[in-house]
Amino acid sequence: MKSLPPRAIQIIVGSFIIFGILLLALAGILRPILGVIMDPFVAIQHWSSDRVMAIVDFFTLPREVTDLLKKNVDLEDEVSRLTSQAIQQAGQLSEAQVLYSLLDFARARPQFQYVASAVIGRDPSPFLRYIIIDHGSDDGIRHGMPVVTQQGLVGRIDAVIANASRVQLINDAGSTIDVRMQTLKQEAQLIGSVTGDLTLQMIPQDLELNSGEILLTSGLGGNYPSDLLVGQVASVNKSENELFQTASVQPVVDFSTLQAVLVITNFKSIDISPLIPTQSP
Amino acid sequence: MSILISFPILLITVILQTTAVSRLPLVNGSADLMLIVLAAWGIHDKGRTAWIWAIIGGLMMSIVSATPWILVMIPYLVVAVSAQLLHSRIWQSPILAMLVITILGTLLQHILEIAMLRFNDIAMNVATILGAVTVPSLVLNLILALPIYILVRDIGRWVYPAEQYE
Repeated sequence: MKSLPPRAIQIIVGSFIIFGILLLALAGILRPILGVIMDPFVAIQHWSSDRVMAIVDFFTLPREVTDLLKKNVDLEDEVSRLTSQAIQQAGQLSEAQVLYSLLDFARARPQFQYVASAVIGRDPSPFLRYIIIDHGSDDGIRHGMPVVTQQGLVGRIDAVIANASRVQLINDAGSTIDVRMQTLKQEAQLIGSVTGDLTLQMIPQDLELNSGEILLTSGLGGNYPSDLLVGQVASVNKSENELFQTASVQPVVDFSTLQAVLVITNFKSIDISPLIPTQSP
Repeated sequence: MSILISFPILLITVILQTTAVSRLPLVNGSADLMLIVLAAWGIHDKGRTAWIWAIIGGLMMSIVSATPWILVMIPYLVVAVSAQLLHSRIWQSPILAMLVITILGTLLQHILEIAMLRFNDIAMNVATILGAVTVPSLVLNLILALPIYILVRDIGRWVYPAEQYE
């Protein structure tokens, strides 16, 4: 019998060994041995991978930070835009609420015709109390027309140009209004001042005036329609040495926060000064 | 050039005055932006066109104000002209000149307005007016004087680039 060549025997023996090892490995017998061999390798692999990832991060992270910064800026822009939008909408809501209130006032007094106007400025002089509104003679506004809000009387038109008007407030130093006390039915004069305070004058000494008394326009003098709410008596100053008592008045309108007003366009003020008798020499 | 740029600058000043500055009172006083701008320009302009600025500014302000136009104009003209005089002849420090002119201009303006109210038979307590209107207005004007001076100085450098300003 011819013996196998040594090379073939090596291949066969090698194959058996490899096959045997595979069988042992598949049967799990070689796991402890493989563990001893592979664990250091895996540990080294893990360490190497960490280092490599650290180096990769070192080079790639700045770009990601830049991306994040850009996204952050974009988000901040978005937040700013939405905040601005929210503020704008809040302003519009506030304006709408003011206009609704003015509309309610106008509906409650259908005998008057109104032009709603926005307050766009104030007189630069600290001695004067005037506001500037955004409607003028083009909208039918004329000198002397009364100006009101839903709360009450504001003042009267003092000067007019085509698209704007100047309104003298009732607390201006040059303003005098004839008023009527709601419960006492007594008439008096309401005077403004340089500091914006309102003083009620020409009150008879025998009148029992108390704080809280409501003041309405009397219609006397022809400058304002009657029964417009003006203010409320805050305190009474009574001196026996004076012919009349006076009172401090709290206006119903907050003039510092005026946003919109109504101009009564179908009321024509009457200049009665020629009818007032003058002393002849 | 100086007169040309006066229109937008003074117009912006009037708008800011009526819409913002007058709505931010201190007690009953308020700042006068126009007066401060004219004082600052008077110092920088060396008197060339400051008086024209004062006339233009005065006319613009008299449109929006109920104060008689002549009473608006006089303090502005005095401020613009005296700014140049004080700066070039007496004061070597423009900031000091600015503050002095602001004080004098505010006082002059208030004296004229009080005289006008007196002339119109409007009752007032002068001590109350001083405490509630004049002093707060003066304080506000002095607060605004320095930033407006710097702003107007930069505009002055832009208008007259060849010249050196202090």
